[in-house]
Amino acid sequence: MPPKPHRALIDRVSAYADEASAFLRRRRLTRRPFARVSVAGGKTIACAPDTEAGRELFRAAAHVVDIAR
Amino acid sequence: MSDSTTSTAPSAADAEVAVARLAAMSADLRGCVILDSEGEALAASGDPGAWGEAGRELLAAADAAAGEPVVAAHVGIEDGEAFAVRHDGFALVAGGERFALASLMIFDMRAVLRDFARGPDAPPIREPHSNRAAG
Repeated sequence: MPPKPHRALIDRVSAYADEASAFLRRRRLTRRPFARVSVAGGKTIACAPDTEAGRELFRAAAHVVDIAR
Repeated sequence: MSDSTTSTAPSAADAEVAVARLAAMSADLRGCVILDSEGEALAASGDPGAWGEAGRELLAAADAAAGEPVVAAHVGIEDGEAFAVRHDGFALVAGGERFALASLMIFDMRAVLRDFARGPDAPPIREPHSNRAAG
């Protein structure tokens, strides 16, 4: 039995809404700020933005990006 | 011969060449500065004073975050990305596009800084990828 016309419309709208929310979720993840520093010996440290040192690093990086713009 | 061997001390003119070389190599680069061991800007894409201050700030913040002197740093924010590498007392700090190919950018920065630190008389370690900048 074919689906009722209004059901097909609701399914289509739901599919578009799912696509949009997945896109926004991916965009939010990839745009999240990050910082990595490497020291002698090859050790790499990730710096969280909620620490004092991390905040200072992000502020300094923003200054570099501003000048480079 | 070790690649850290300096044949002749590099000059400010050599730093200008290195900045231009990195700009030609890296398509995602917006600008950069080369700092000497005292933190003074030897050459930059724009105003050396402003670039020098920004570069020193980034290196100091990276050192503080790591708890020891860093050899490389990579920070991504909403508007772009900042990179820093150190070699033989010199430092190269760069600003790039958001979602730049970070490993390539750091590889290019290291190659340029290493050649620069070796001095003008030393042969380059590796030739630039001239085709990548065009793509």
